[in-house]
Amino acid sequence: MKKTNLKAACLGGALVVLFLIGWESYLRQSGFICSYNDDESLWAATRRNIYQATPAGPVIVGTSRAKFDIDLQTWEGITGKAPVQLAIVGTTPRPVLQDLASDPNFKGTLILDVMEPLFFQPNGSFAEVSATKRLAYYPKWSLSQQASFVINRQLEDHLLFLDEEKFSVNALIKRLPIASRPGVFVFPVFPLNLEYGLPNRQTSFTDSFLTDTAAQAEVKGVWARMGLTSTKRGVGGDTLTNIIRSVAKSVDQIRARGGQVVFVRFPSSGEVWNAEQQAYPRELYWERLLKETGVTGIHFADYPELSRYKCPEWSHLSPADAKSFTKDLTRIIETKTKWSLQNAVSQNIP
Amino acid sequence: MVFNSYTFVLFFAVLLALHNMPFSWKTKKINLLGASYLFYALWNPPFILLLWLSTIVDFYMAKLISITEDKTRRRMWLAVSLVLNLGMLSYFKYGGFLLENFTMLMNSLGIAFEAAKPDIILPVGISFYTFVTLSYTIDVYKRKFAPESSFLDFALFVTYFPHLVAGPIVRPEDLIPQFKQPKKATGQQFMWGIFLLTLGLFLKVVIADGWLSETSDLIFGLPFPVNPLDAWSAVLAFSGQIFCDFSGYSTCAIGVSLCLGFKLPENFRYPYAAVGFSDFWRRWHITLSTWLRDYLYIPLGGNRAGRFQTYINLMITMLLGGLWHGASWNFVIWGGLHGLFLCIERLIKRNPKKAGVAATEAEEVVLQATVIPVRRNNISVLLRVLLTFFLLNVTWVFFRSPDFGTAIRMLLCMFGVITQGPKMLTTPDMLKVAIVTVGLLVCHWNMRERSVKGLFQSMPWWLFGTLWGIMLILIVLTQKSTGSFIYFQF
Repeated sequence: MKKTNLKAACLGGALVVLFLIGWESYLRQSGFICSYNDDESLWAATRRNIYQATPAGPVIVGTSRAKFDIDLQTWEGITGKAPVQLAIVGTTPRPVLQDLASDPNFKGTLILDVMEPLFFQPNGSFAEVSATKRLAYYPKWSLSQQASFVINRQLEDHLLFLDEEKFSVNALIKRLPIASRPGVFVFPVFPLNLEYGLPNRQTSFTDSFLTDTAAQAEVKGVWARMGLTSTKRGVGGDTLTNIIRSVAKSVDQIRARGGQVVFVRFPSSGEVWNAEQQAYPRELYWERLLKETGVTGIHFADYPELSRYKCPEWSHLSPADAKSFTKDLTRIIETKTKWSLQNAVSQNIP
Repeated sequence: MVFNSYTFVLFFAVLLALHNMPFSWKTKKINLLGASYLFYALWNPPFILLLWLSTIVDFYMAKLISITEDKTRRRMWLAVSLVLNLGMLSYFKYGGFLLENFTMLMNSLGIAFEAAKPDIILPVGISFYTFVTLSYTIDVYKRKFAPESSFLDFALFVTYFPHLVAGPIVRPEDLIPQFKQPKKATGQQFMWGIFLLTLGLFLKVVIADGWLSETSDLIFGLPFPVNPLDAWSAVLAFSGQIFCDFSGYSTCAIGVSLCLGFKLPENFRYPYAAVGFSDFWRRWHITLSTWLRDYLYIPLGGNRAGRFQTYINLMITMLLGGLWHGASWNFVIWGGLHGLFLCIERLIKRNPKKAGVAATEAEEVVLQATVIPVRRNNISVLLRVLLTFFLLNVTWVFFRSPDFGTAIRMLLCMFGVITQGPKMLTTPDMLKVAIVTVGLLVCHWNMRERSVKGLFQSMPWWLFGTLWGIMLILIVLTQKSTGSFIYFQF
């Protein structure tokens, strides 16, 4: 029995080692690059840094557009301080805004990404519930989970197959070509070579995606299936009024403690931009939001230097464009808000 | 700390190294105790004070009980232990629930009463370690054994990390004697312990978290009715999830403990092959059901106080057993349904002829239709297993639903009263549920009278090793590394 167990354990262990070496080699041979899981732990680890936020190193709250379009390294190169990236893919930023507003210790600067189809999602929607779930994790993030996060980070530095969103068993099963019953909404899958994430929560397109027009067309198809090319008018009436009121309340709470907020409307192009203009007319949503909250807003369409980009898949900037976009954005923020961002690290501007 | 985390891997490696170094036995026990406190404190350090309080009070109360001959004083010392343990449990687990129901009662009587919602965090494992320490003082009071003289051994018995947060609920006689002599796992025990840890993690990480949780979480979280097929898929998903989650934890706990040289009691014995509810409770969360039997059902009179009183005792035991799982009326209903089915089963057993007729009529159909290996002479057993499984799924609806309204809506969908709900689940999600459900039933049916150890011992080593390797690969690839266990909330 003893020998049998030992032999079985050796065989089992050998199979695991051989399989993982083979799997990791195969993924590397296929051109994939290391990407960090943008999970609850990474978000929670980033959330801890909000208390040092200044205009030079603000907190960014929003959607995937903020994650792709603001190049954190470029920003840090200009201001001397890295922003705290708290944007969450596919969610409305309002729950995170409320969370920061109700944190009495947060007195910093906030850049809020206003992507209308997600920003104006009503309470109880998928986009709102997803953000709320992510927020709920932070206060319960135990010491044990924090330690696991640190260990996991060391492994993720070296092992490509640990990318949960792309290579976990569940992610692979979701890619199987199995048809579902008519009427079932099947969440679309993105191409495997779409993007990669960094430990600072920066997300960027891969080089392979930028040259792969078929993959770009595939993502455009995903946006269409998810309703981003729909011209159907967004929420209105009391729902819209309540959404704007809740945002205004959160902004006021932050300002009352000496914090500052600026809204940014990031670029989109093609059919997505066309649809967004019709579904969320600027005067009914963006202008009203600015007026009722009293917050300074920067809309990409108002600035030639911000609107000269073409998003490869209609919704996010390429890494190269994100760099020049970030450079221009910091200059425009500085001009419009009168905050001093250039080398502001030592000034600790309130 | 959870077993399915990198922190635990590191923690366990260091502990194993310390446990196998040439230290004195006392030093090793101190290491184990310190490690157990660390294991607990890495979740929420302040709550370790509750654990210390419970340990110190019960150790000294048991001593006082044993040296006192005066009955009143003995009862008083026992009461101190009971009040402290049950008081802590009531405050942390049931404080909010009691206040909420008191407010509702006042309002229904026309008395305007509004209480602030209490912000109470439930200390992980409080239901488990409370029962562990209670059984100790009660047994000392009953003079079942003398109180433990070593505070170190007693503290280690209460706090020993493999069982601390989600069982098995150990009795003093299970564990304390094992601390008396130096213990180190033999090579065979160590290998088997690692295998059990792998098996437990496979059940938890791959099956419960990876394959089933999304389906049940999605459907039970919806505020509207769904298609009957989706409702059934969600309930079956939860049925598999809770078994794999909880038995996975117990298997990990037993395996981890075995690697250190200590044996923990068995907690699950293929419960979905149970023939009836009394058999189910002999197979599901065995250490809880025996605890409830020994410290609640039997003291209430058990089945010795007349037929009617037996039914009452059964119902009380199961209702309180339900409430032990959580502060919600849904858990009470879940316990009540189990109590009801136990009573009905008892009634049927008193009149076996009627039960036999229905079974034989269905035997022929099952013999031709079943996918489960079955012989003619055990078809009726299989039928009763399937009926039990069906009824268990009905009870799981109350266990999983966030509120009573959701439970009723799910049942209406399942039984075709509401048929117009949308289809929510994709085919791969439903396939996963179907594969796990059939797999669990076939596995439990075949393993009813066998053990995991027996099964794997009878395999050729290469098959055993290959299965072991596949489980490990799937654990690594599933990557759900930090999901909490369902029973932590109880």
